[in-house]
Amino acid sequence: MSKTTIKTKLSRRQYFFIIVQTEIGVGILSLPYDLHSQAKQDGWISLLIGGVLLQIVLLVIWLIAKRYPDKDFFQINEAVFSKWIGKGISLLYIAYFSMVSMVLLLLFVRLISLWVLPQTPFWILSLLMILVCLYLASGGINVMARFYTFVSVLLIVLLGFVVYSLKDSQIVFLFPILNDGWVPVIKGANEAVLSFFGFIISLVIYSKVEGSPAQRLRTIFYAHWFVVLFYLFTVITSFTFFSTVEMSFIQEPLLYMLKSFDFTIVARLDLFFLSIWVVNVATTLTTYVYMTGLGLTDVFGTKKTTPSYIIAAFIILVPPLFIGYNMERVDQFNNFVVWMGYIFSVAFLFIIYFISLIRGSLQKGGAS
Amino acid sequence: MGFLRKLLGNRDRIEDTSNKNQGQQPNQPSSKKLSENVEYLLNEFKRTDDLKIRAMNNGQAVLMYFEPLVDQEKIQQNIFNPLEMGHVEHISEIPNARSSENLEEMIPTLLRGHAIYMEDGSSTITRFNVTSVFNRNVEEPQNEKIVRGSHDGFIENLMINLNLIRKKIEHRDLVVKYFKVGKKTNTNIAIVYMDGIADPEIVQKLEKRIKSISVDMIQSPGYLEEFIEDNPYSPFPQMLNTERPDRVVANIMEGRIALMAEGSPTALIAPSTFFMFYQASDDYNARWYTGTFVRLVRLASFIIAIGMPAFYIAVISFHYEVLPDELLLPVKSSINEIAYPPILEALIMVVIIELIRESGIRLPSPVGQTIGIVGGLVIGDAVVRAGLVSNLMVIVVALTAIASFVVPSNELSTTLRLMTFPLIILAGTFGFLGIVFGFLFLTVHLTRLESFGVPYFAPVAPLNINDLKDTFVRLPLFMMKKRPKDAHPLQEKAMGESREWVQHEQDNNKN
Repeated sequence: MSKTTIKTKLSRRQYFFIIVQTEIGVGILSLPYDLHSQAKQDGWISLLIGGVLLQIVLLVIWLIAKRYPDKDFFQINEAVFSKWIGKGISLLYIAYFSMVSMVLLLLFVRLISLWVLPQTPFWILSLLMILVCLYLASGGINVMARFYTFVSVLLIVLLGFVVYSLKDSQIVFLFPILNDGWVPVIKGANEAVLSFFGFIISLVIYSKVEGSPAQRLRTIFYAHWFVVLFYLFTVITSFTFFSTVEMSFIQEPLLYMLKSFDFTIVARLDLFFLSIWVVNVATTLTTYVYMTGLGLTDVFGTKKTTPSYIIAAFIILVPPLFIGYNMERVDQFNNFVVWMGYIFSVAFLFIIYFISLIRGSLQKGGAS
Repeated sequence: MGFLRKLLGNRDRIEDTSNKNQGQQPNQPSSKKLSENVEYLLNEFKRTDDLKIRAMNNGQAVLMYFEPLVDQEKIQQNIFNPLEMGHVEHISEIPNARSSENLEEMIPTLLRGHAIYMEDGSSTITRFNVTSVFNRNVEEPQNEKIVRGSHDGFIENLMINLNLIRKKIEHRDLVVKYFKVGKKTNTNIAIVYMDGIADPEIVQKLEKRIKSISVDMIQSPGYLEEFIEDNPYSPFPQMLNTERPDRVVANIMEGRIALMAEGSPTALIAPSTFFMFYQASDDYNARWYTGTFVRLVRLASFIIAIGMPAFYIAVISFHYEVLPDELLLPVKSSINEIAYPPILEALIMVVIIELIRESGIRLPSPVGQTIGIVGGLVIGDAVVRAGLVSNLMVIVVALTAIASFVVPSNELSTTLRLMTFPLIILAGTFGFLGIVFGFLFLTVHLTRLESFGVPYFAPVAPLNINDLKDTFVRLPLFMMKKRPKDAHPLQEKAMGESREWVQHEQDNNKN
């Protein structure tokens, strides 16, 4: 009878947009440059390879989540590793999620200060950002899902900007293909994988989504390929807009590209692009605040959720204040978190899966 | 019991519906001695002077009533005429008389404007309904005018308001429930909904919230609103208030609940969504192209009303580079001479506009026009010439003010004008980024808001593509076959196939 209670489960459309909005974030501006620095004009191939390889990880995520249909990620940890070890591992993940958030915050504020507000102190911008995220995350996953779906309209606007730039693109810049062989391309795939690290959200909230496992797997893949294609489009546009030589100097090719256009009504499209990009950063960061907060709630078994989010936001906000605009340390920290990403978002998932398999078969054996 | 009778169509007996409230009254049996009864009542009413005691039968009987509340003509007509004409032998035999032996019951009865008749030697009290009623006409509300459509409006009398609704929905499922709220004022509250369409859970929620109100005075639905809305700290109104019967009826038919109070022409609609505030009856009476266009203009006015000054400030104080070269010179020359920073300029102008608006409302209308001229023309012109505010800023702020008045709901219009201030400050400190953060906070807030457990920002967040037909656009009515989901209607289907005759006619033509 009551539709409100049924509604507490996320629809698959919301699941799709949560994954998409989480993955598309800070990285989109620098992704073409990062790919280019490794694989030159073949960066887009790296991106595709990365996208294809990640499907394996997504499959593992699905296999893990399918075994525990009514548990969120942190509860799965406890189920797989027994209570206390599981809690410890959850804490490690919480640390990882909060560190990713810190990197996001650092990179975001750095870019804003580079492009728009060079004089503004670090703490104001990061505080504003984290407040928005805290406000959104403390509303719960349902509110987040609604919001993400709504702001996905902005992705179309972003695409519109990029499509407009296609008028000056030159396919020639993509050639020669595979000039230096496959090695740099594979190295570039490493860079590509980084920009997808938000996919872990699909594991964390899997149990809160309606639909059969197969349907949900399909949604995960759709979302993943949507992001891959979105990235691919922006990467190819920037690669064809700038020549290979130019690309190696330009850290944010999309912005420079848009900066060059001049309309009769407005100039400097990059500022508008950047404004919309802020929303994407906010959604990504919110997801991480949410995951951190959810982890804290689960690990400490608190009944109220809002305090955990406040604590999460606090943990995320404070350390970056000590790093600030110090580029060297930002980069060091970034590299460190990338490694953590490989461990926690890829390698460890396999471990969780195998242990859960072993436990499952042991229990089955014990039962029979 | 009362509302059941009402449902059966016995609408004109106002005293019947109030009977149920008397069941809870304390009992004070009347005595056979007239003087004791009169004394008791006089004491209960603290010997107020307007309680009239009219002695009859040489002091053997009295007729008591509140002089300001009764209609002398009705007394003559209902009580004395039948006696004089010899239709009845005794006063208690008059057909519309009711009798009781409970003195305590007489207190609210007298307060409602009834007259009571008591005799010495009998404990029976007879009462008559002789209330005088003063109503204004059911004319179109001043604050919600439309071009086409019905031009009636609610008034201060609850019964007449309910009459207007019942006249528009002639169906057995229309339910009216009464509540008495306000311990001292005893205000009559009614909720109206369609049984079988409105979600019973929401009805229960509303009833529970109304019942839990414990205050001495309730004046109007606006007063009530703060006690029962989900989030009283939000700047956004979470219940639509309207004085238009057609708007109320349309919303009731969508499965929402209307809440009305005696003494106020405003009806509250729950649950409400943000986009309901942008729907006007006009949209549905005009052709749908026009309806769509007007609604788009209205929604654009939302963005203009809250974002325009902020955007202008951000551009001229942070992002000059956004202006194309041709525009740069005129803009620069207009603001070059101004002594104050743009954010101060904007705040001054917005405050001035608010002053003009507020004084315009309070003053009698001939003087109000003077204020319009003095405020609009003289101040506007002088302030630019004096070099305090740039003329571009005047344009921007004036446009903002106009845009904020486009909203068909006065409530939301005031909210919008309030929202301009934080956005102006954010834009003045962070430029575009500030605006983005402002809008982020705003949309997150709207997404988080709920009105009686129903998401406020529906059908946009959560997205419901089917309901978008009547949100940004207004598609032809025969395409809206389902009721909007956000009100949780029990019956989704609102219409069947209504244009199948097209097919028939085509078939006929072929033959």
